[in-house]
Amino acid sequence: MTGRLIVSVGILMLFFLSGCSGKREINDLALVMAVGIDKVEEGNDAEKKNQIEISVEVARPADSRGQTGAPAGNTGDPIWSVSAKGNTLFEAIRNITNFSTRRVFWAHNFIIVVNEDVARDGIRDIIDFFTRNPELRMRTNIAITPDKAKDVISTMTGLEVVPGEALDKLFRYTDISGAAPKTELLDVQRAYLSETTQPLIARMELIERGVSNKKQGQAGAIKQVNLAGAGVFKGDKLVGILNKDETRAAVLFIEKVKSGVVVLSCPNEPDKEITAEIVHDKFNVTPSYQNGKPSFTVDYKAFTNIVEAGCPFSIKDKEDVAKIEKEVESKVKADIKKVLTMAQKEYNSDFLELGQRFNNKFPREWKEIKNHWDTTFSDVTMKVNVDARVKSGVLLYDPTRSGKQ
Amino acid sequence: MKNFLKEKLQGHFDENLDENIKTIEEILENSVDLARRDFIFHEQHDVKVTCFYTDGLVNKQQIEMVLEALLFKAPELIANSKVGPVDKEITKQIKEHLLINPSSKVIKKVEDGIDGILRGETLFFIDGSKEALEISSRGWDTRAVDEPTTEQVVRGPRDGFTENIRTNTALVRRRIPDPLLRIEGMKIGTKSRTDINIAYLKGTVKEDVLREVKSRLKKIKIDAILESGYIEEFIQDAPLSPFPTIESTERPDKVASAILEGRVAIFIDNTPFVLIVPSYFWQYLQASDDYYSRFYTGSFYRIIRYIAFAISLTLPSIYVMLASFHQEMIPTSLALTIASGREIVPYPVLLEAIIMETAFELIREAGLRMPKPVGQAVSIVGSLIIGQAAVQAGLVSPFMVIIVALTGIASFAIPNYSASFSIRIIRFPLLIASGSMGLLGFAACFFILAIHAISLRSFGEPYLAPATPFKPSDQKDAVLRFPWWKMVSQPDLAEGQENRMRENQVPEPPKIQPGLKNEKTEDRNEEANNNDNKNDKENSEKNNNEEKNNVMDENQENNNEEISESKSKEKDEQEPLPITEESSSTQTKKGFKKPKKLKGENNE
Repeated sequence: MTGRLIVSVGILMLFFLSGCSGKREINDLALVMAVGIDKVEEGNDAEKKNQIEISVEVARPADSRGQTGAPAGNTGDPIWSVSAKGNTLFEAIRNITNFSTRRVFWAHNFIIVVNEDVARDGIRDIIDFFTRNPELRMRTNIAITPDKAKDVISTMTGLEVVPGEALDKLFRYTDISGAAPKTELLDVQRAYLSETTQPLIARMELIERGVSNKKQGQAGAIKQVNLAGAGVFKGDKLVGILNKDETRAAVLFIEKVKSGVVVLSCPNEPDKEITAEIVHDKFNVTPSYQNGKPSFTVDYKAFTNIVEAGCPFSIKDKEDVAKIEKEVESKVKADIKKVLTMAQKEYNSDFLELGQRFNNKFPREWKEIKNHWDTTFSDVTMKVNVDARVKSGVLLYDPTRSGKQ
Repeated sequence: MKNFLKEKLQGHFDENLDENIKTIEEILENSVDLARRDFIFHEQHDVKVTCFYTDGLVNKQQIEMVLEALLFKAPELIANSKVGPVDKEITKQIKEHLLINPSSKVIKKVEDGIDGILRGETLFFIDGSKEALEISSRGWDTRAVDEPTTEQVVRGPRDGFTENIRTNTALVRRRIPDPLLRIEGMKIGTKSRTDINIAYLKGTVKEDVLREVKSRLKKIKIDAILESGYIEEFIQDAPLSPFPTIESTERPDKVASAILEGRVAIFIDNTPFVLIVPSYFWQYLQASDDYYSRFYTGSFYRIIRYIAFAISLTLPSIYVMLASFHQEMIPTSLALTIASGREIVPYPVLLEAIIMETAFELIREAGLRMPKPVGQAVSIVGSLIIGQAAVQAGLVSPFMVIIVALTGIASFAIPNYSASFSIRIIRFPLLIASGSMGLLGFAACFFILAIHAISLRSFGEPYLAPATPFKPSDQKDAVLRFPWWKMVSQPDLAEGQENRMRENQVPEPPKIQPGLKNEKTEDRNEEANNNDNKNDKENSEKNNNEEKNNVMDENQENNNEEISESKSKEKDEQEPLPITEESSSTQTKKGFKKPKKLKGENNE
């Protein structure tokens, strides 16, 4: 009886004496929505120059959520953005706690924005830190920016109350435009750890696009975050930037693209323009191996709709359609070829996952060439076949004409 | 004093009437409710008679009948000398020749006489006889059979048990008028001598279970049993467990269906709550409605109740666990919403949850204890204060109010009151465990509970059956309620291999050819009906329904006849239309095949 009593009291004490270890209330946390990483420019000492500045955008719950019954903070801003400096990332983050009233909590982070200057120096420590930290989700987006990262994350942008969420949602629809790859931390880490593939990271910039509703004169004065191509990495260092068209071609290799827009000149009136939208496509890269030399064939089949015609155009006109198809083919082919050349010649970086594709098909042969893939990659022959079809003129069969003529 | 009383009680009645009166009055002393009536019968010999009864417990008509017989009818009969002058057998003779009361007996022992008086019988002493005549005259004010308040149904019988044990057994007997339904009686309680009845279906109930029930009941030694709860605590398998292992119900239909499934019902006098053993845990989540409404409805609401069970057991703990330990598991926008609601709440989530749960239980309890008109006021004030003012004052977060309200509503959706109580109580250890150690505490506590529940047995039956141990045949009445014509076999619990109904009774529309007489089909149908009658025993739970069906069948038959008559009048020379269809529900598939064939023949 006494023994049983002792055991049960012991079990009971387990609950009380543990003192709720590891407990932290949700309202005692500073929920980080976005992180920016910059290089410290100002400062005199050489020591300070190598420092890293980390900026965090923390959601202010009372202001980021409205009528919840609880009195609102009424500071007007849904976010609280602060930055801290340090020699390493972790030191900088620790320095945030010097003025953060709540424990910095990373699990809800939407995006990591890295300044291009930092990226040029290498992002190895960033990948290491953010993948090592158990609080962080591997699905966090990562992007590079030519602007100050702290400006990008603290700009009120998009329709979302919390800008971090807006940045996250920017990526949600990239498969329509293909303006930037959808790079999550997991992808970047995988590319970085891979034997062949090099990381390709989305790029965003601040552009004055917003139109003020209150002061008409200030149209375009409000900055918004914009997706702007991608950054090409070699190893952990940023080596080049792809613009939007190049990015679109590059993204074809990496992920599924839903849509694309090709602007062409009219078949009969070259000064006027006709727009084709790629609504459906098939993209295939076939590696082959002959005489110890790898080569790749890229097959791209695009089905397009004519969504806008600046000149008389009828979908029934087979000749015109054939001309348009040809033009689409040449334009798309040029884009793909350009990005291939950039990868092979300009940056010598296999961010298109070509080595991976070869490895998948010829695992045994891959073992022979993987050691000098860096050097062979730039000389690999690429064949690009593009087949474009115009499927429909959407709702209009005949050209739009004024009825008075 | 006690010994004196005992001595008196052990004795026998005397020949002398005065001695007997003295004995009774000495034992019962001056209880004001003891009534006495002296009179003289047998004019020639002046035989004195005295009767005793307890006022309020008797139906005076019965006593009047005796008086009438003795005072007015006796002289005539005595003239015929069937009842002789005073002799020792006079009591027996009176009982046999004079009394018209349906129930009476001759007793000799003082103890029996006293017991009879106190239970509402009337005791007649005749001068010169060593025996007393006990007339059954019980009759007191009882509550009428009423709708049970704790277990309401939308569709189903509206009668509920009352405080009178006879009424209660009668309600069940009326549902199962089968010779195999046995109701055994016993008395428990040295002072209360409460009537206990055990009802079961012989041949269906497991003998071991029955023996166990009886032996456990016999072991009870107590002065008084005031409610079935006393018995429940004395005979349950796991006295310290938070889970109830004995089901109690106010509904006769529930008891009847349990008996048909091979369970034992224990009726206790003076309470409308009847115990059912053995019981499975999942039974507490099943309502009578499930079986009476269509099976889609029954199954759907059963699933809803399982959800309600999960919510009422775990929701507050999961919320507390997520909000104070595992914020990364909450979707970001929800996390922000929760955080914004909690922004100004002054205490931790766990404390907030405990305060709110306690407040909720307070409102519930107050609403229950208050007189009905005040009870409503309590609930209004409670909901206003808890729901609105507390949030606006920043004392609790709106999210917590939703959680607690949802939990409360979910716990009310559990049909069995005692089960819903025990789930509500189990919630608190879970809450504290998850609030102090997060997922680890929650999982540990939940596993302890689950292991405990699995190890439980109710009168030898595994408590969590048919889920674990898994019983494939019983799944028809577990998570989903299958249609009645699918639940052919008896539950695993019952003994014997009898099926409860004929197989393949899926109703389908008739496929008859008008203008065709088909004797063979008719024969078959008659056969089928006979079978039905034979199977009645097994079907007896559906007895009432079936009776209704039969009535309907007859009606249909009549209708058909009428129709056929009228039609035959129209087509004068044609033969009257056949009555091939008696009832679509009792028709077998085989029965339908014949007419088709004949149809072909006819065409030839």
